[in-house]
Amino acid sequence: MASQAADVGTRTGWLRGVGAVHEEGWTTPDARRRLQLVLAGIWLLDAVLQFQAFMFSHGFSQMLGGTAAGNPAVIADPINWSAKIIAGHPTATNVIFAFVQLAIGLGIAWRPTLKLALGASIGWSLGVWWFGEGLGGVLNGAGGPVNGAPGAVVIYALLAVLLWPGGPDRAAPFVAGRFTGANVARVLWLVLWGSLAYLALLPATRAPKALGRMVSAMGSGQPSWLSSLDNHLGAFLTSHGPAMAVVLAVTLALVAVSPYLPRPAARAGVVLAVVTAAFIWLAEGLGGILTGGGTDPNSGLLLALVALAYWPLARAAWPAASQPGLVATARPQSPEGA
Amino acid sequence: MGGPSWLAWMFASVMIATAVYCVARLLVSWRQRRPTHQHVDAIHVLMGVAMAGLLVPRLRVFWAGGWEVVFGIAAAWFAWLAIREYRGQATVGGRPGHHLQHVLACGAMLYMLLAAASVAKAAAGGSATGGMAGGAAHFRTLALVLAVALFGSVVWNADRLSSLAPVAALAARAAPVLAGAGPGGGASFAAAGGDDSRSTPGDGGQGPAGWPPKVPLSPRLAVCCEIAMGVTMGYMLILML
Repeated sequence: MASQAADVGTRTGWLRGVGAVHEEGWTTPDARRRLQLVLAGIWLLDAVLQFQAFMFSHGFSQMLGGTAAGNPAVIADPINWSAKIIAGHPTATNVIFAFVQLAIGLGIAWRPTLKLALGASIGWSLGVWWFGEGLGGVLNGAGGPVNGAPGAVVIYALLAVLLWPGGPDRAAPFVAGRFTGANVARVLWLVLWGSLAYLALLPATRAPKALGRMVSAMGSGQPSWLSSLDNHLGAFLTSHGPAMAVVLAVTLALVAVSPYLPRPAARAGVVLAVVTAAFIWLAEGLGGILTGGGTDPNSGLLLALVALAYWPLARAAWPAASQPGLVATARPQSPEGA
Repeated sequence: MGGPSWLAWMFASVMIATAVYCVARLLVSWRQRRPTHQHVDAIHVLMGVAMAGLLVPRLRVFWAGGWEVVFGIAAAWFAWLAIREYRGQATVGGRPGHHLQHVLACGAMLYMLLAAASVAKAAAGGSATGGMAGGAAHFRTLALVLAVALFGSVVWNADRLSSLAPVAALAARAAPVLAGAGPGGGASFAAAGGDDSRSTPGDGGQGPAGWPPKVPLSPRLAVCCEIAMGVTMGYMLILML
């Protein structure tokens, strides 16, 4: 008990060191709460990106309408319908979009509205996944791991579920499993990374020069360092595209099965996932957020956040309820009952 | 500054309202001797006015180069406070984490002002691309890094918000102290259970010579001001991308 309290104290020591722990009743965010706060920050970034001048232009509605191409009519028609509405009322609709995202971000950050905001983020994300991203190009065959498939915004919804407060499985060996349970969380991970591995093998990514063209296109309008990086990477992938697509698919498949492996291998899998996500994010040109026309940071950053939620915790860091013989002494670290 | 003009006016209005509120905090604090962080409120006043001027040029109230000097000094001041606090020395306002947020905010202000100045110079030379974005283009990544850091401080502040007691609760908690404390008996407000993390003896959290403490000005609204400032500053930085 004392050792656990000391452990908590040690882990929060750096926060005390910078003076962040002062308010009465304010508990230092635990791992899940910190990830929730990162998610909130990304929503805030999205909201402010939505306020850019480009989003108030007809270019934005055309961009949304473009995601309908190649999709089945049942998916494409509602996309075209919503794009027409946005084209007719670009200012009003965009202001609504921006403020909804701002409310979600602040709502996740403010503890009393956490559940409400996470719930709203799920609904909003699924709506945007359909009407704004055309289901991430999954159905039209245009989606690949380095162009945002299976849709960056659907990962927001996944994160909202994985980071939902409370949950019956306090014994979960990673944060993402506390609400859904470790087994369900592992299946979700397998589906996410496994689908990325599958998409890497589709012609949109594996065809000669496809990957190179995809990455080179991301360099347009970027700052010189990122443009140069994407252009060099694109040139390399143009000449080694199919082989690199297979390497990417194998890497993603290894990541997909890693939570089922023993803890050291699972940790290596999470590290590999973060590195792969960083590669994807750079290949995506950081989602175009430095170009003045990006609506969100795209999938790479969110994949890294998902990976962090699956970091295998040391047994000492598991909640006391999951460890027979240990009596909880420290206060719950977050009011949502983490 | 890019973006629709009405949106710039909206954010500028929020900043002016924040600045006016912080002026009111300073006045009330001075008149009623209620604890607050005067230097933080003062910098919020300056930031609110400066940001309103950046958002809407008609609202500019200072000479060219003046704001850069102000926020340069302010950044150095908050950095000094943060370093002193980190070393365990007494400072005027409490929390180095909090001070670092102001170092960040002052740094972001400096960046925006310098970028705006470079745009103005480029415009004078006939090479402007229109708006602030062209002038800031060389440092877009820095603008993004600053914006992300500001959003980090916004969510951190919002996370703390619910742990701060409202003024009514602070007053209720202070009442027993006020009733039971005579000269020499006034416990510090924090010791009485009040959540005045922003109140330190150095900034008036306790009355002089043992007099009972005053109810501090709303810490929640002070944090709300920081949130509003952070979101608006992040918006302005993103417009420079």
